[in-house]
Amino acid sequence: MHPIRRYLSSAWQALFGDAVRAFGVVSAVLLLALAIAPAKNQFAQWHQYQRRYLSLIHDRGDAVTLRRRFQPGIHQTWLPELGVVDRCTTCHLGLNEAGLGDVSQQPFRKHPAIPHSLDGFGCVICHGGQGPATTVAEAHHSERAGEEPILPARYIESGCGQCHQNALPGTPQLNLGRAMLTRYGCVRCHAITRPDGTRVMATDHPPSLVHIADKTTREWIYSWLKDPQAYAESTTMPNYKLSDADARDLSAYLMSSSTPREGDTALAATKAGSSADLAAGPSLYGQSFCASCHAVQNAAGNLVGGDVGPELTRIGNKAKPEWLAAWLANPRVYDATTLMPHYRFTAQQVATLTTFLQAKSDSDYGTGVHLDAPIPAQVAHGKRLIVELGCAACHEINGVQKPENFAPDLSTIGSKPLAQIVFLPGMEVSLPSYIVAKIRQPRAFGASVKMPQFALTAPQADALTTALLSLTNRSRSMPDTLRVAATVETNYQPAGHAGKLINELACFSCHRINGRGGDMAPDLTWEGSSVQRQWLIDFLRNPNTLRPSLIRRMPRFNLSDSENKELTEYILAVYQSPAVDADAVPDPSHSPDVVEHGKQLFYSKYACQSCHIANDKTDKGYIGPTLTQVGSRLTAAWIYSWLKNPQALRPGTTEPNQNMSDEDARALAAFLMSLKGQGAHGAKL
Amino acid sequence: MAVKTSAMMDKVRASRVWRSVFRAGTGDSTLHRALAIQQSIFLHLFSTKVRKRMVKFSATWYLGTLTFGTFLILVITGVLLMLYYHPSVPQAYADMKDLQFVVSSGLFLRNLHRWSAQLMVFLVFAHMFKVFYRGAYRTPREFNWVVGVVLLVITLLLSYTGYLLPWDQLAFWAITVGSNLSSAVPLVGNKIHFLLLGGNQVNANALLRFYVLHCVVLPLAAMLFIAIHFWRIRKDGGLYVQGTEPKPQQNNETVNTAAEVK
Amino acid sequence: MSDPKEFVAGIDSDQRRSPVRVAFVTRRTSAQVKVNREDQVQTYPEVLFRAVLAIELLAIALVFFSLLFNAPLEGIADPTHTPNPAKAPWYFLGLQELLHYFPPVVAGVLVPSLLIIALIVIPYFNINIEANGLFLKDRANRLRWFYAAAAGMLIFLIGFDVYVAVPPTVVVALAMIVAANSRPDSPSKFRRYLAKRPLAYWIMTWFLFELIVLTAVGTWFRGPGWAWVSPWRNY
Repeated sequence: MHPIRRYLSSAWQALFGDAVRAFGVVSAVLLLALAIAPAKNQFAQWHQYQRRYLSLIHDRGDAVTLRRRFQPGIHQTWLPELGVVDRCTTCHLGLNEAGLGDVSQQPFRKHPAIPHSLDGFGCVICHGGQGPATTVAEAHHSERAGEEPILPARYIESGCGQCHQNALPGTPQLNLGRAMLTRYGCVRCHAITRPDGTRVMATDHPPSLVHIADKTTREWIYSWLKDPQAYAESTTMPNYKLSDADARDLSAYLMSSSTPREGDTALAATKAGSSADLAAGPSLYGQSFCASCHAVQNAAGNLVGGDVGPELTRIGNKAKPEWLAAWLANPRVYDATTLMPHYRFTAQQVATLTTFLQAKSDSDYGTGVHLDAPIPAQVAHGKRLIVELGCAACHEINGVQKPENFAPDLSTIGSKPLAQIVFLPGMEVSLPSYIVAKIRQPRAFGASVKMPQFALTAPQADALTTALLSLTNRSRSMPDTLRVAATVETNYQPAGHAGKLINELACFSCHRINGRGGDMAPDLTWEGSSVQRQWLIDFLRNPNTLRPSLIRRMPRFNLSDSENKELTEYILAVYQSPAVDADAVPDPSHSPDVVEHGKQLFYSKYACQSCHIANDKTDKGYIGPTLTQVGSRLTAAWIYSWLKNPQALRPGTTEPNQNMSDEDARALAAFLMSLKGQGAHGAKL
Repeated sequence: MAVKTSAMMDKVRASRVWRSVFRAGTGDSTLHRALAIQQSIFLHLFSTKVRKRMVKFSATWYLGTLTFGTFLILVITGVLLMLYYHPSVPQAYADMKDLQFVVSSGLFLRNLHRWSAQLMVFLVFAHMFKVFYRGAYRTPREFNWVVGVVLLVITLLLSYTGYLLPWDQLAFWAITVGSNLSSAVPLVGNKIHFLLLGGNQVNANALLRFYVLHCVVLPLAAMLFIAIHFWRIRKDGGLYVQGTEPKPQQNNETVNTAAEVK
Repeated sequence: MSDPKEFVAGIDSDQRRSPVRVAFVTRRTSAQVKVNREDQVQTYPEVLFRAVLAIELLAIALVFFSLLFNAPLEGIADPTHTPNPAKAPWYFLGLQELLHYFPPVVAGVLVPSLLIIALIVIPYFNINIEANGLFLKDRANRLRWFYAAAAGMLIFLIGFDVYVAVPPTVVVALAMIVAANSRPDSPSKFRRYLAKRPLAYWIMTWFLFELIVLTAVGTWFRGPGWAWVSPWRNY
């Protein structure tokens, strides 16, 4: 026998020769095997990271302090209310160490300053990942057990949005995303319910198509449907990628279902006599501050103007002249709910503006579109398409019902389990990457996807994704006390004849009153308490701007004197703040001493000139409104109350609360009331 | 060395304390070895002697032994896991995470329990088929076969009830699918379903119910039937060997079926 | 055995021998005592240590398996999100597969109950005790029955679209046809073996094949909506 074999067989005999020996040997092996798992604990990743942390702080000057604060073992943040068990701090040891600001090596970096304490909120609420995990892979990238991998930093604001349903100054991306959800009509097809049960409502104003034939031509509709962005780069209308035949049939149905509106042509006929003043077009457009709401592409291709109303770059290609004239004369005839004010233009002004706007056209646009008169089958097909694509979810269309629950509910899209998502090949398997891809290229997910192609830039898509990621199960399951409720638009409606006037002038398009309206211009809820009667009358007659640096300004509405008076009286009577005590400053005419004392306070003690301008020769403050004429604008009582506690009058204002004494406030108010401005805004004009 | 150890062991075995515990006494004689089996409350379930043929691996593949082995592992790991487990929602799931991430060897324990359970189900089936193909269910072993079928059912129930305890998606939906079947029983289906889950759907009540079944009722039942199963092997004439039994084709009536007196 | 010394009661006995039986035979019976003399071993230590050894080896294997492979754990139970497909534990997937074809009362209640009852009664029916080859006796008649049963089963399975259950049935039926055409003294060892198989063997084998195939199909070949998928495809 070969010696090795002999040796092996004798070894076998020695170890497993009989049952008892084998039992002994195998028992020893079993015990050894059982010892492996406990031994492995000693080599756990978090042990290694804690050792590395100790060697990191070893040579530092503050080593003694850091070492004293270091506790070995597994650390955790336990927040039963939120269902949070975060063990991240087991390895991320430097998060709360102010002294480690210079360390850039993860996992020991210091956490940047945030408004919340880390111990009170844990980590995964904002960052995602698997809190209870104590290994790098499981904590950061695990998706097997339904966890979300760590959220990429660029979506981090979605964490804030789980609790804060309102807009925060520190979360511009989230705010933009939320605004887009309502502005791009997302919530017209997709239902989104906030945790408190309220629906997120759309803020866009998709035009009604009931009288579309009065407004434009079928050829324009066809071109528009084929590619909305080709007509107006900034439009929120998405591209449905329609075939030529589909666009043809859709336009056929829209035209054939449209009913004529009498005023559209009748009004135009009466004004037809007026001649246009070609030279006055641009200045009238400018004076009316049309650009506050409407944008136009300039020669360099940049959009200039606001985004409240539609872009007007090629309006001449779209609007029929007689319709445009009727619209400018009184937009509420065509669309009773439009955001556009009733300007009370003269017939000549209407003709001037119409001509001016009609000239804004692109001779290349829509050429080559020749549509034959539709046959009934095409019209019927167009109607089917409208139902199928859900056009009526946004636009009012004759003969088509507004669809209910047209698209999937997105109220908890931020917690959508990865297992339920069909990812495209080559796509990163994570919820954010899915949402971004779905928003940017919905049709890539299959030919049957109805969602159209929106024209979004990458930052816009990221903002939308951030807003959608904040719609999590956790945001719904957390206790109400931890939630900051959304500011929901109220249904405030001013009463009486003045109320009708406020609607006609579309004040709510820019101003907010009692929780309703836009945020382009100042909130007018307490306007009656704050301004003086004469100033208001003058302002309405010829609005001047308070903040010269702003581009968007209050337009002139050509109000009649009686209308002006009515509006002024209504504002002064109704928009009064209970927080402003008109008797607090009994005598607005103060002695020069008090005014001088107030001036001292303004320039030295409170250094108001750092934000405001009281003397336009010396002061350089551009953050707050200019105060050179404040004495003829605001009431003394308002200034006094404002100085005492600005946040009580306008929550969220950046004006600091200085905890002023009554005496200081009175003196400052006296000084400010003395600032009447040169050329006196008051009496005449 | 080996001699020394065995001498020492003999000394220990001869001591008063040892003898007070183990009734069999010392010695290597066949009697003592028989007594070692007879006089132990656990081992006396077995016969003192076994046919040499049956000790061979090929005879039984040790499937019964291995099944019992998985059961032992399951009892031990199961008791240890119970120390870390709360049968409540959603704590049960959090306990799984704790086992995975903070309990020393917790993940290992759970793995061992889980894989042993799967293996036990497989081994029980394998054992059953092996016994069948060997024809070992025949007289006088009919009843032990029935006990075996009962043990098969208990094993399946143990595995099924244990399946819910982690309270993850896998558990929840597997139990939902399984328990919905009971609704299909004619007439009393919904009542059985309600009784099984302690409610109309899988919820915290079902979890508690399954926990009690899994950790108390079914293991006790299993132990009882395992004891009977082992004991009947001895009572029914030891492990079945083909050829030792009466050959049916010769004469079915003149069979000596008197259980061998053991 | 004639030496009276062998009957002396004592502490020594031959561990290799079966216990000697004493039978009292009355005049009217004609008893046959079959003596089975074969080697025996002491349970302790021979068998006990082997059994423990087997268990220990199993434990070692399981320990290493558990060190290498983690038990599955998915996300927390969520009654509002049904995974697709929602699968039962693997040992019930055969039943779940049947559930795909038959109403719940059949696949979920009738089949398992009948199975358990069938398993319990196996040892109490002579047909199962009989160890003769199925086709050795009364061949023509039994063959007729077999063809009728096999054809009936296939028609039933195909009628209910249970195609996955067809291959095992066909395989067993073919093996039975081979068995029917084999002699117990056939030169081929395999055919000799088949020829001697009794009915119970065939039924159990068919059951085993079906169990394996249905469970395997349910485990690996079923995807969302219980539709057929390839196990190598990632869904």
